[in-house]
Amino acid sequence: MTVEQQDCVALDQFPVGMRVLAVDDDQTCLRILESLLHRCQYHVTTTNQAQKALELLRENKNKFDLVISDVDMPDMDGFKLLELVGLEMDLPVIMLSAHSDPKYVMKGVTHGACDYLLKPVRIEELKNIWQHVVRKNRGSNNGDKKDGSGNEGVANSDQNNGRANRKRKDQYNEDEDEERDDNDDPSSQKKPRVVWTVELHKKFVAAVNQLGFEKAMPKKILDLMNVEKLTRENVASHLQKFRLYLKRISGNQQAIMANSDLHFLQMSNGLDGFHHRPIPVGTGQFHGGAAAAGMRPFPPNGILGRLNTPSGMSGVRNLSSSPSSGMFLQNPTDLGKFHHVSSLPLNHIDGGNILQGLPMPLEFDQLQTNNNKSIIAGNSMAFPSFPTQQQSSLPNNNNHLVLEGHPQAPPSAFPGHQINKRLEHWSNAVSSSSSTLPPPGQNSNSLISHQFDASSSSYSIPFCDSTIPLNPALDHTNPRAFYRATDMDSSANVQPGVYYDSLQMRKSGNYGPTTDAMLSSNNPKEGFTVGQQKLQSGFMGGEAGSLDDIVNSTMKQEQSQGDLSEGDLGYGGFSSLRTCI
Amino acid sequence: MELVQMQKSLQDYTKSLFLDGVLDSQFLQLQQLQDESNPDFVSQVVTLFFQDSDRILNDLSLSLDQQVVDFKKVDPHVHQLKGSSSSIGAQRVKNACVVFRSFCEQQNVEGCHRCLQQVKKEYYLVKNRLETLFKLEQQIVASGGMIPAMELGF
Repeated sequence: MTVEQQDCVALDQFPVGMRVLAVDDDQTCLRILESLLHRCQYHVTTTNQAQKALELLRENKNKFDLVISDVDMPDMDGFKLLELVGLEMDLPVIMLSAHSDPKYVMKGVTHGACDYLLKPVRIEELKNIWQHVVRKNRGSNNGDKKDGSGNEGVANSDQNNGRANRKRKDQYNEDEDEERDDNDDPSSQKKPRVVWTVELHKKFVAAVNQLGFEKAMPKKILDLMNVEKLTRENVASHLQKFRLYLKRISGNQQAIMANSDLHFLQMSNGLDGFHHRPIPVGTGQFHGGAAAAGMRPFPPNGILGRLNTPSGMSGVRNLSSSPSSGMFLQNPTDLGKFHHVSSLPLNHIDGGNILQGLPMPLEFDQLQTNNNKSIIAGNSMAFPSFPTQQQSSLPNNNNHLVLEGHPQAPPSAFPGHQINKRLEHWSNAVSSSSSTLPPPGQNSNSLISHQFDASSSSYSIPFCDSTIPLNPALDHTNPRAFYRATDMDSSANVQPGVYYDSLQMRKSGNYGPTTDAMLSSNNPKEGFTVGQQKLQSGFMGGEAGSLDDIVNSTMKQEQSQGDLSEGDLGYGGFSSLRTCI
Repeated sequence: MELVQMQKSLQDYTKSLFLDGVLDSQFLQLQQLQDESNPDFVSQVVTLFFQDSDRILNDLSLSLDQQVVDFKKVDPHVHQLKGSSSSIGAQRVKNACVVFRSFCEQQNVEGCHRCLQQVKKEYYLVKNRLETLFKLEQQIVASGGMIPAMELGF
C-alpha cells in the first residue's frame, strides 16, 4: 500500500499556495484564468492541451491539488480528462465552460466534477475553490464524503432504488456512526492518500468475503487484512465505495457477479464519492470460500448478461489460479460456481492504480433471488477499459464460453439496466431488459478482442442506480456550485446596475443542486460505458492471462485511452460511472 | 494635450464603451487584475483575444463558404469565440455569438451568414475601440501620467 504524503508547504498555508493546474485551449481565457488564480494566491500551472495536462499530472501525482479544465478542447473532451484525472489521480476537478446549458452541467456532475463554472469566470468564484480540495481529502479519509453527507447520499440512493440494499446500507451506516472518528481539523487537514492497489483490494475483498458481505464491518475487515498503516477510515471509505459500486453495477436488485478487482479499484480510487461495496465473491480466493462456504450462492447468472452457457461455465475456472477476480460468467444453474471469465493478472500494478474498481460480485442474496437475471461477466464490466496489448495472450476460454452463453442466456429481466443504455452492445442487452444478448461484434471498441466483444455484449451492468448522488458533497454541501450569481453583490469589482450582464449570464446557468432524481435519471444513460470500454479493451475474455498483465498493458495504454474509446462507449460511459456513485 | 485632459478623455472614452454595451464589467475585472506585477495584463490579454478571434473568424468564413456547411465545425468555433469574448468583456461580440449559435443549431445557413456578418461587425468595432483606448493610455503614460482608475458607479 502506498501512502502519499501531501506537500507540507502547501499544507501550512493552505489555501494560499494551493497548486492548480489550469487547462484551456483558448489562450485568452487561459491567460485570464491564470491571472485570476494568481490573484487568489494560488500556485498556477497552465497548459492549453489536455494531453499535456495529463502528462503533467501523471508525472507526479502529488504535484497538484486541483485541476480546472475547460470542457471543449480540441485534443480531448474535457469530460474525458475529468474522468481520467479522477480515476488516476483522484484530484478534484472543476469544469469550466461557456456552456450554461444544464445538460452540460449535469454531465460535469455525472462525470465527477467537483464544480462547474461558467465563463467568464469571476474571481469571487475562484476564491473558494480550495474547498473542493479540503472536501476531497476529508472524504477519502473519513469513509464518507463529508460527515453525514456520504451517508445521506447513500441513504437517498438506497431509498430511491435499492430495497435489497437498504438493510446493508443501514447496517453500514450504523457501523459507520459507531465507529467513525471525527476529523478534528477539517479545514486544513490533508491526510496522506491511500492507494488501493490490486493486492490491497484483494485482501480487502478476501476479508469481506470471509466476514460475509452483509456483515462486513470496517474494523473487522481491517483486522483481517492486517495491513500496516491502513486505518479503519480507509477501509470504511473503501467499503462504502465498494458497496455503492457493486450496487451501481448490479442495479437495485441484482448483484454483479463481476469479479473484477481491477475495475472496482480503478473506479474507486479515482472517483469521487465512490462507495465501496463489499463483494462477496470475487477473487479466486474468495471463490473457493464462497462456493464452499455457504455464502449465499452467487447465482452464476449473476448480474449482468448471462454470458456463460451452462455447459461451458460451470465450475470454477482459474479461480484459484488467477489472482484477480475475473469476471464471473455465471451459469444460472451453478450456484456458487464462478467462471472466472477474465483472469486479468493482478500482479502487475502500474503505480498501484490500475486495478481499481474491479467489481466484485455483489449481493449474493440478490443474485439468489434473481436467477433470471443475467449476469454480466464481471470483469468485462468491471475493468476499466484497458487497452491491453496482451489481449491476444489471454486464453479465450471464457470468451468462448461467453459467446456460447449469449444465445442461451435466459431472457431474464434485467432491472435497473437502464443504466447501461449508453453502452452499445451492452446497452442493447440492458435496455431490452432481457438477457438476450446482442450478437457479439457490436463492440464499438476496436481494441476489444472479438471474443471480448461477445462477452461484453452480454455484459450488462446496471451501473448506476443513480439515486446516489454523484458527489454528495457537491450535491448537498456545495449548492454554491450552482449558484454563481450569489457573489455578485459582494464584489467591489462589480459595477452596479449596468454591467451585470455577465453576471446575469452566469445566473442563468445556475441550477439547484443536482437532485438525486436527476442523478438517477441520468445515470442509466451514462452507464458504465467508459468503464465498460475499458473492460472491453482490457478484458481478454476469459481466463486469459493474468489480470495483472491486462491491467498492466491497459495502464500502459492509458495514453491511448483517448483513442481507445470513442463515442459513447468511451469516456462518456466511464464518466457516468463516476457519477453513479 | 494636457495630461489631465488626456486622462479625462480616456475616462470618458472608456465610459462610453460601457454605456454603449461594447464592454461589460468583465473588462473591469481585467483591469483590476492589472497591477505592478502584471503591468500590461489587459493589453496582453486583449492582444491574445484579437489573435484568436481573427483566426476563428477566418475559419468561420471558410466553413460557411463551403458547398455543404458542416455545422459541427462551425459551432465549436462560435462557442469558443463566445467564451473568449465574454472573458474579456466584449459584450456585443458575445451576444452576437449567442445568436449565431442558435442559427447553427437550426442549421440555418442563411441565418449563419448573417450572424457571421454581425459578429464580425461587432468584433471590428470592439477591436477598434480598444485599440483607441490603448493608444490613449499609451499617450498618458508617455506623458508621464498615470492611467486613472475607472470610476465605478457612474
